[in-house]
Amino acid sequence: MAYSNFTLADVKKVFQIEETVAAENLFSEIEPVIPSSVLTAVLERNMQVALAVNTEKAKSELIVANVLIELREKFERRISVFSGIEFNVDAENGLTGVCDFLVSLSPARFVLEAPVIILVEAKKDDLTVGLGQCVAEMHAAQHFNTENGNDIPCVYGATTSGTEWLFLKLEGQRLYIDTEFYSIHACDKILGILASMVEQKA
Amino acid sequence: MAYSNFTLETVRKMFQLDTDEAADISSGIAPMALSEYLTTTLARKVPLALAIGTEKASSELIVADILVELREKFEHRISFFSGIDFSIDAESGLTGVCDFLISLSPTQFHLEAPIIVLVEAKKDNPVLGFGQCVAEMLAAQRFNAERGNDLPWIYGAATTGTMWQFLKLEAQKLYIDRAVYSIGQCDKILGILSSMVEQKV
Repeated sequence: MAYSNFTLADVKKVFQIEETVAAENLFSEIEPVIPSSVLTAVLERNMQVALAVNTEKAKSELIVANVLIELREKFERRISVFSGIEFNVDAENGLTGVCDFLVSLSPARFVLEAPVIILVEAKKDDLTVGLGQCVAEMHAAQHFNTENGNDIPCVYGATTSGTEWLFLKLEGQRLYIDTEFYSIHACDKILGILASMVEQKA
Repeated sequence: MAYSNFTLETVRKMFQLDTDEAADISSGIAPMALSEYLTTTLARKVPLALAIGTEKASSELIVADILVELREKFEHRISFFSGIDFSIDAESGLTGVCDFLISLSPTQFHLEAPIIVLVEAKKDNPVLGFGQCVAEMLAAQRFNAERGNDLPWIYGAATTGTMWQFLKLEAQKLYIDRAVYSIGQCDKILGILSSMVEQKV
C-alpha cells in the first residue's frame, strides 16, 4: 500500500475524512499574482511541446516544475520545493511513497523539514484520478508536521495536468475540493492561489 | 527485459558491440552560447536540483531545459520527446520508456524517424546510464532503418543533470567519450548536442 493506491473513496474511509462540498469555488476571491517575464517566456517556449508530447513526465518538466520554481522565487527562496522525493510517514496506514511535488515553509533545501504546506500530484490527463493520492499525501503531511512539532491548521493540495489545475484544502479531517479547474492560461490566478496557500490565507 | 535492465556489459555481449572506451568524441567541438533565458533559468534551478538530488528533479530542472533550448536553436526543425514509450523489439529486450529523445523530424505530436540523440538521466553517476542508453541507441538504429531513414551514427548522452557524458554508435561500433562535462560548461554541452543534430560529430 502506498499513496498511489488510494482512491478518493478509500482515503476518506480509512482516515475518516469528511468532504464538505462548497457552494461556490473556494478560491474565487484570491488576487492573481503576475508571473515574471521568465515564467512567461518559459511557458511560451514549453507549452506547445508539453501538449504535443503529452506524457506526465513532459508536463511535469515543462510546466509544473516551472510554476513551482516561480513560486519559490516570489517568496525569495524562503520556501522549499521538492520533486520526486520519498515521503514515508506511516507504513502501517499506507502513507508511503514518492510525492510528485511538495512545498515546505522551511527554506531548507537538502532535507525536507516541517511544515509541509502544499502537495502537488501531476497526472497525464484526468485530474480526478490523482485526488485520492493527493489527499493521502496531504493527510501524511499533517502527521509529519505534528510529529515535527510544527502543526499548521491547513494543508493544501493540487492535482494538475500542467495545463489544468484543481486545488484542495484539508483542515483537520475536513476536506474541501474546489469546484473549478484553472487553466494555465490563467497562470496569474494559479500563482495567486499557490501564494495564498503559502501565506496560509487560502 | 527492457532498456532499463541492460548494463553496459550485457548490451555489449548481446549485440556484439565493439567498444572504444576512451574515444575522443567531443574535444574539438566549439561551445555554443546559451540564450539569456537558459542562463537565467539554470541559475534559478541548478542549485535546487543539486539539493533535491532525485532523478526527477534533475530531469525537470536541468535536462529538459537544455533540450528545449536545443530545439529552439534549431528553430523547431527538430523534435523533443520526454517519457514516451519506445518499444521496438520485445524479443531482444528493446522495449520501455526513454527519458529523452531527439528526432530530426519536426513532427512533435508523434515520434518520426530519424532519431538522432537519446538521453538517459541518472541520479548519481552518468556511467550507470550507459547500458540503458546504448540499448535505446540500438533500438533507434532499427527504428530508423525500418522507416528507410537510416543514419550512419546515433548519439547518446548519460547525465545526472550536473554531469554529462556522451556516446556514439556507428553500426556495431560503440564510442564512449573520455570526457565528462559539468553543467558549468553548459555552452560546451549545448555545442556537442548541436553538432550531434548536425551529424558532424
